[in-house]
Amino acid sequence: MAQALMNLISAPLLAQAGRAAAGAAPSMERARTVSDRAADALQYSIWAAVLYIAIGLVAVLVVVSVLGLVMSYIERKVAGHFQCRLGPMRVGPHGILQSLADGIKLLFKEGIEPGHGDKVIFIGAPIFSITATILLLAIVPVAPGIQVVDMNVGVVYIAAVSGIGVMGILMGGWSSDNKWSLLGAMRAGAQMISYEISLTIAILVVVMFSGTLRVSEIIESQQQGWWIWRGHGVAIVAFCLYLIASTAELNRTPFDLPEGESELTGGYHTEYSGLRFSFFFLAEFANLFVFSALATTFFLGGWLPFHIGDYEAFNRVMDILPPVISPLFWFGTKCTVLIFVLMWFRWTFPRLRMDQLMRLEWKVLLPFGFANLILAATVVLTGLYFFPTAT
Amino acid sequence: MTTTTSDQANIESPPMDFGDLKSQCVAPRPSIMGRRRSLSGILWLSAKGILRGLLTTLSYFRRPSTVVTQQYPENRDTLQMFERYRGRLSLIHNEDGEHGCTGCQICERLCPNGSIIVTKDKKNEATGKPALDQFIWRQDTCTFCNICVLVCPFDTLEMTGDFESSVYDRRLLVFNLNEYAGPTADQLEKLGDEELAKAQMKPMKKYQGPVPMCGGELDGIPKLDTGKSDDA
Ligand code: SF4
Ligand code: SF4
Repeated sequence: MAQALMNLISAPLLAQAGRAAAGAAPSMERARTVSDRAADALQYSIWAAVLYIAIGLVAVLVVVSVLGLVMSYIERKVAGHFQCRLGPMRVGPHGILQSLADGIKLLFKEGIEPGHGDKVIFIGAPIFSITATILLLAIVPVAPGIQVVDMNVGVVYIAAVSGIGVMGILMGGWSSDNKWSLLGAMRAGAQMISYEISLTIAILVVVMFSGTLRVSEIIESQQQGWWIWRGHGVAIVAFCLYLIASTAELNRTPFDLPEGESELTGGYHTEYSGLRFSFFFLAEFANLFVFSALATTFFLGGWLPFHIGDYEAFNRVMDILPPVISPLFWFGTKCTVLIFVLMWFRWTFPRLRMDQLMRLEWKVLLPFGFANLILAATVVLTGLYFFPTAT
Repeated sequence: MTTTTSDQANIESPPMDFGDLKSQCVAPRPSIMGRRRSLSGILWLSAKGILRGLLTTLSYFRRPSTVVTQQYPENRDTLQMFERYRGRLSLIHNEDGEHGCTGCQICERLCPNGSIIVTKDKKNEATGKPALDQFIWRQDTCTFCNICVLVCPFDTLEMTGDFESSVYDRRLLVFNLNEYAGPTADQLEKLGDEELAKAQMKPMKKYQGPVPMCGGELDGIPKLDTGKSDDA
């Protein structure tokens, strides 16, 4: 629903922007996303547009559910390897039916609502949570054209929409009529809002380098090389900041204080059971993918292969994959690696204390982020990064 | 703990014994708090610590069998819990089945959530002195804080490694821990005469030994409200 609305609102804007861009520089024509197609179709028939919107919506929903299944399986396997636990080996060969079994179990569980809780908000919270994820998924660029919507203020949109997830958690904790939930929600609010600043500052470095807010153009600007190595030190610091801040945004260890099951018995989702609980988890796992995908987009060149400036021979070798598979392969590989790194963090580091968490953000990450931003500005202005002419 | 050399990076613990698995914990102790360091020094230390942690887990990831994890349901027969593990509470009994509890009720008074109820025999039939009658422990409310074990002046309580206690009815988690009611092992020993001692041991008729009491009603234990009748 929200997705459809989004498309409806953004489609005309996009069509306009697309036409303007095409008129100005025909060579810079962008791959047409689902929402572009919907906007074009609108000129002939409203039903064609509706069809495209439905396709986008269904695609995102399928992606969310598949991500939920696959990610929870991978997480179990990774954790199992790290800690030599045979848990995910028991259902089906190598435990491949584990996620399915989990899903069925959650379906059959009773959905309990706390007696004195705020029913409407309680039921709405998980939906809110997953809506934020779906809205974010819409802008993830998987490959040229495989993207629901590609708006000209993409980065601003990301910063704005990722904040909705906090609302879901806050609502869930508030309406549960449970002190643990409330504490978890308060922690989540404090934590996610704080780390969002660092997250945005880290992304701003890339925006400065590429000079655009549109995600597809950010990727295109990395034709000559990914920002993480072309922007050398500055970009690496920004990437580290992004990784840390997004781990906190995802509520994953070492920043999983909102759940903190050993001190808060489950935090904001203590009172949730069955499908509502699984909604929170779907959102969490899908977010894991979204944040890795965005890191890939901003720092690792999205769907682009590894290129070094104008070294034709080397670049040709990198382009060896057929153009249909190449974007998917590169995007998939980078995303997988990043997801693994985030899981690796989770099973390595112990949870922080709340004051340590806040100190890390306000006294360490934020000053570093600002200093890095200023440095990045100097680097961009003086053209001190590799292949400055390329953009 | 005072460290004379602040640069001492690691304090190695003695090897720990996990059944037939041996392992050694190396606790990294970068002395960030010890002396003032420059910003870059702290950054360097932090980065080093983070990388080291990541590398450690990565090595486990590649060879999971090196992780010290016990494969629980498989090793049920050989499983040994650690000495300090807090499982089921138990009265220590000697080989003759005698305990050392005097029924002083200190543990009952100090248990933070009233999980212990010690009832006393006002006058033991044989000795004419007060002695322990029933030692009731409610596992369903116990937090395993270990206070009862620590405060017992006669060292007669212990936490055993028994942890498989899941049941479908929480009334099954109320235990009577003593196998017999009566004088302590000390008092019995002072008597000298074994026959006389045996005579003074009053076996518990009902719910004898460390067995769940199946929700039976007892003095001082309010019946649990389960919402259904318990004819079982
Ligand atoms: S361990 Fe703590 S809570 Fe449990 S019975 Fe002993 S004193 Fe009470
Ligand atoms: S177990 Fe120890 S503290 Fe408790 S009543 Fe017996 S002797 Fe006293």
